[in-house]
Amino acid sequence: MTNELTFIQKHEFLLRRIHSLTGLVPVGLYMCVHLITNASILNGVEAFQNAVYAIHSLGNALVFVEWGAIFLPLLFHAIFGVYIAYSGQFNTSSYGTAKNWRYVAQRITGLIAFVFIVSHVAHMHGWFHVGFWEKLMHSLGLAQFRAYNAASTAAMAMQANIVWPILYAIGIAASVFHFANGVWTMGITWGVWISPAAQKRADRICAAIGVGILLIGFSALGGFMTLDAQKAEDIENRMYTESVNTGRVVPNAKKLTNPKLLEEQAGTAKP
Amino acid sequence: MAKQRVVVVGGGLSGLSMTMKLCELGIPVDLVSLVPVKRSHSVCAQGGINSCNDATRQLGDSEWKHFDDTVYGGDFLNHQPPVKEMCEWAPKVIDLMDRLGVTFNRTGEGFLDRRRFGGTLYKRTAFAGATTGQQLLYALDEQVRRWEAEGLVRKFEHYDFTSPIVDDNGACRGVVIQNLHSMEFLALPADAVVVASGGPGLVYGRSTMSVMCNGSAASRCFRAGAKYGNAEFIQVHPTAIPGADKLRLMSESARGEGGRVWVPRRSQDTRDPKLIPESERYYFLEERYPAYMNLVPRDIATREIFDICVNEGLSVDADKMCVYLDLTHIPKAELDRKLGGILDIYQKFQGVDPREVPMKIFPAVHYSMGGLWTDYERSSSGGLVVGSPRNHETNIPNLYAIGECDYHYHGANRLGANSLLSCIFTGLMVGPGIENKLKQSKTAAADLPPAVFQQAVAAAKEQHQAVLQRPSSDQNPYQIHQELGDLMTRAATVVRRNDQLKAAIATVEELEQRANVATVVDTGSWTNQNVIFTKALMDMFPLAKAILWGALQRDECRGAHFKPDFSMPSLTSDTREGRLQEAEQWCDRFQANTDKWLKSTIATLVDGQPKLSYEDIDTSSIPPRPRLYGLVGAEEIETVWKRRAAAKSAQVDPMAARAAAAPAVASL
Amino acid sequence: MIASNQPSVIKVRVKRQDGPGQAAYWQHFDIPYEENLNIISVLQKIAAKPITRDGQRVAPIAWDCGCLEEVCGSCTMLINGRVRQSCSALIDRLLEDSPSGEVVLEPMSKFPVVRDLVVDRARIFQALKKVKAWVEVDGYFDMGPGPKQSRTQQEAAYPLSECMSCGCCLEACPQYAKVEVIREAGESEEAYRQRVEAANSVAFIGPHAINQAVLFNSNPTGQFKKAERLEALTEPGGIQVCGNAQNCVAVCPKHIPLTTSIAQAGRAVTVHAVKKFFE
Ligand SMILES: Cc1cc2nc3c(=O)[nH]c(=O)nc-3n(C[C@H](O)[C@H](O)[C@H](O)COP(=O)(O)OP(=O)(O)OC[C@H]3O[C@@H](n4cnc5c(N)ncnc54)[C@H](O)[C@@H]3O)c2cc1C
Ligand code: HEM
Ligand code: SF4
Ligand code: SF4
Ligand code: FES
Repeated sequence: MTNELTFIQKHEFLLRRIHSLTGLVPVGLYMCVHLITNASILNGVEAFQNAVYAIHSLGNALVFVEWGAIFLPLLFHAIFGVYIAYSGQFNTSSYGTAKNWRYVAQRITGLIAFVFIVSHVAHMHGWFHVGFWEKLMHSLGLAQFRAYNAASTAAMAMQANIVWPILYAIGIAASVFHFANGVWTMGITWGVWISPAAQKRADRICAAIGVGILLIGFSALGGFMTLDAQKAEDIENRMYTESVNTGRVVPNAKKLTNPKLLEEQAGTAKP
Repeated sequence: MAKQRVVVVGGGLSGLSMTMKLCELGIPVDLVSLVPVKRSHSVCAQGGINSCNDATRQLGDSEWKHFDDTVYGGDFLNHQPPVKEMCEWAPKVIDLMDRLGVTFNRTGEGFLDRRRFGGTLYKRTAFAGATTGQQLLYALDEQVRRWEAEGLVRKFEHYDFTSPIVDDNGACRGVVIQNLHSMEFLALPADAVVVASGGPGLVYGRSTMSVMCNGSAASRCFRAGAKYGNAEFIQVHPTAIPGADKLRLMSESARGEGGRVWVPRRSQDTRDPKLIPESERYYFLEERYPAYMNLVPRDIATREIFDICVNEGLSVDADKMCVYLDLTHIPKAELDRKLGGILDIYQKFQGVDPREVPMKIFPAVHYSMGGLWTDYERSSSGGLVVGSPRNHETNIPNLYAIGECDYHYHGANRLGANSLLSCIFTGLMVGPGIENKLKQSKTAAADLPPAVFQQAVAAAKEQHQAVLQRPSSDQNPYQIHQELGDLMTRAATVVRRNDQLKAAIATVEELEQRANVATVVDTGSWTNQNVIFTKALMDMFPLAKAILWGALQRDECRGAHFKPDFSMPSLTSDTREGRLQEAEQWCDRFQANTDKWLKSTIATLVDGQPKLSYEDIDTSSIPPRPRLYGLVGAEEIETVWKRRAAAKSAQVDPMAARAAAAPAVASL
Repeated sequence: MIASNQPSVIKVRVKRQDGPGQAAYWQHFDIPYEENLNIISVLQKIAAKPITRDGQRVAPIAWDCGCLEEVCGSCTMLINGRVRQSCSALIDRLLEDSPSGEVVLEPMSKFPVVRDLVVDRARIFQALKKVKAWVEVDGYFDMGPGPKQSRTQQEAAYPLSECMSCGCCLEACPQYAKVEVIREAGESEEAYRQRVEAANSVAFIGPHAINQAVLFNSNPTGQFKKAERLEALTEPGGIQVCGNAQNCVAVCPKHIPLTTSIAQAGRAVTVHAVKKFFE
């Protein structure tokens, strides 16, 4: 049998296992951390801003972490995931079991998550911090997030129109389902839970985790939707000035909504 | 010289064990089967496989006892050397199957669990749930797949064996086969051909057998000149459930695990069986056979059911023979562990849970003791010369027959769980004989002039075309098959009468004429099941006729062949003295009958008609004795018989006298 | 069933196809109602009298069957859209569940159609070869009994070894895609079969084969070849293709715990792969 194997065929096992793994770490784990971080908005603007400071304390290394540990694994998982989704054939019309529906849902929520994450990153982060690209994104109403005005920019972005919150709600729900169900299937794939009874127990645990994360995600969303952005910005600006003074944050105009204002303040403060 | 090859026709237990053994000996095999071999009929076998074992040995069992039970159960129609050899191999066969990974049930300590089967008092039967045949077949299928992966086996699955290729010297040099999808014919040269094609259940229309058990392969050898032995010995199993398409077996293991057969004492009692109190139930087998109880040999159990239903009018169903087989007193967990497979079948097809409600069961055609005549070479110790090329060779040189399609081992009645044994045993045992056969020959069939094979293919094609191109008639092959089945079931099953048999022979002739002109609706040349069925139907007639003629001519009762007009009476006298007197006469008559009828019926086909002759039986190890399970007066007959036997052998050899008497004691 | 509910005819719709690669078409048959029929007996009745509802005389329907008691695995087909064994599909039961009162028969969709309801399932057996589903004994001479096994071991192995290669699990598996190679004009049987095998060899082996690998890896002697079987499970078309829809276990007529076997194999290949990486 002389068979020309494609790259994917040849490394199918490894690729599938990496795909499975990337779903959990870093992508899944990151999502959880991300949603929990966001939910700190419920503890006030300061709490959230402090969390963001912590992340951004990585400074220039942040871009490498973002790409190396989040975006690239995510892109791999997503793109290979789309390939996997297309290689299967849905047949719930004949075999309408719950498990089969979840198999379908895993693929559909993956695709939704993909669309959502691409737009979410574009909406907030803008993907690349390169001059012309940033300008383009801004002109499209994207790349709205400013790390040193974290809560207020996020809130304004969410409050700009009703489309974004709806998209976020769907996206978060889909991602969380995908993650929780994915952890469960992963446990079978890797042979963590084996017997039907164990699989059922694991299923309940995964469902509980899913519901928990979903609540966290939605409360964050609610938090931003109801936040008074103006007040928040004042608080953030105060924190910024203080933090720059104490050396906690490295000044960076790009991470501010209104750098001029703060420059002036800084100018008067610093002899 | 080209490499010598063997063709094995049939991938049931016998064909697969043969294939695997030949491969071990380095002989390449072409394996031909109608269906993927994993789907062969052996997969249906439920109950188990027999051997004497460490536990029974300590209760007095031995290979010899197994041998004795088999020939006694078979009413001494079995040639004894092959049976003796088989029983001696039996423990080793089971050991081998265990090593091959068969999931036999285990005892708490991890040994093979055993159950009791019909016709013996020992728990000899190893089993894997109630799907033993399936598990055994899979183990062999796996081994053959392994050899296939190594290139020693070529499988021809979805192929029909249409004829052996017989050369001018009358020797078999290969086979013609037909692809069931492309309908193309192919000749496979072979230095030995082994037919392992199973039983002919379809001759009876519906039976417990699978749909490919049409007997066509054996019949085609019969047509080619092979002799057919003991055709009239057809086993009717006492316990099956009827269906429009098949009679599904409820294995003897149900009784082996404690199942009890009964009918309400009151005729046509319509009460729910569970509401019928013990006192109003007639456990007729237990009452009539206190030693063997529900586990009498099958021919006897079937006749008792017939007697209860037809003569005593106690059938549970008004219009069919039907009795209860009751398992409801056995704990469910145990039932599931040991009988799950058959209970599922019952529940699936009858819609009733047999763990809760007694099963309604019926007798059904099950097994053919008869089959292609084959030779053997007797060893000095009364067994076989293993490695002899004569073992299992038909009268056509190089053509062998093994498994259910040969006529050995089971005599006039097969004991449960002995067939799986005989199938695997013959494959293993005959392999080395075939190796020697090949060694004897300096040529390979593949080196023969191609014309030999081309002619054979051309003849097969021509016959096929002739069937396809028949002028349209109103004869329908499926209709004819149904009529044939009904007829055979009426005339040649539990009870046989000469007038009925004669009438049946005439009708079968008519049916054959009709089959020979029946129209095939499908005249295409792709996966034409219609024409394949029609050809198989035509090949059922030689066997049907051999069965009917054999039955007609055999004016006696022996095992499964029962003619009330020639039955041996029970003793009637009330006193022991009187009975002893009667027993003398009884024994005289028995001896006369034995002298006349203890012979295999051998059929040869001449111009489409079976010609019968009779062959003496090799009873060199165990002299024939009356088969007395449960007969009234059995004790007296036995006394008389033993005295006579002892006297007889004392004349010959005083040492043997004691030996001859021994088995009779053990058989109660 | 109550007598008044019984229809006078059984309406049967059959998807037919004359040969590989040809177009499929439907035919309708009306069979006089009888009690206790199964699909096989209905097909037998059609074979005996192949006349459609419109009175057209047609070629009898081709189909596979063997044991007629659900142990041989021959008679798999789609019945009212779902895969199952046709010998155990009882008409009375089907009519109860089918509001349209119709019985629809189709060939399996994941295997190439040979004709009508007959499909080519050679791929099933090829997968068994790939995972070396056998115990590698030295030979068939008498070497005494096999290793002792506990009842627990036997009770775990027995269900797995009941697989009758029917292919129900494969038909229902969303990850099991059909592989069909059309024979070229003038191509020899041998060459064609080789092409088919090559195409099959990289496609999903399916849950039944994973289950067999687990069965033989748990056999005391079979486990000597464990590494080779695990290797085979990670080759192209191996266990990784499974997407955990668990349809296989839901449709298996033998109730084989396929997803348990898949998880077990998943663990074994994980351990095997990691070990191999660091060895
Ligand atoms: C329901 C049932 C239960 C049984 N239970 C037991 C039991 O518990 N214990 C026991 O000892 N015995 C039992 N038996 C008997 C036993 O199963 C059979 O006698 C035995 O399996 C026969 O095996 P075999 O190898 O001779 O043939 P089979 O298994 O019948 O195989 C025949 C092979 O020949 C092939 N073939 C046939 N005709 C052709 C042809 N024309 N061209 C090509 N190939 C052909 C078939 O495809 C098949 O591969 C049972 C029988 C039945 C019916
Ligand atoms: C962005 C688009 C995404 C797509 C298209 C996608 C697609 C998929 C697909 C098809 C699977 C099933 C793989 C299989 O069963 O073989 C899967 C599994 C998984 N995904 Fe995603 N996914 C995406 C994003 C995510 C995200 C954001 C997360 C984390 C929250 C995630 C976590 C997981 C996990 C944990 C699994 C289980 C892996 C397994 O079963 O082995 N995925 N994904
Ligand atoms: S669990 Fe895996 S093998 Fe079973 S149906 Fe789902 S995808 Fe197919
Ligand atoms: S695992 Fe079940 S469904 Fe699959 S082939 Fe085996 S018996 Fe059929
Ligand atoms: S005919 Fe054997 S499984 Fe249906």
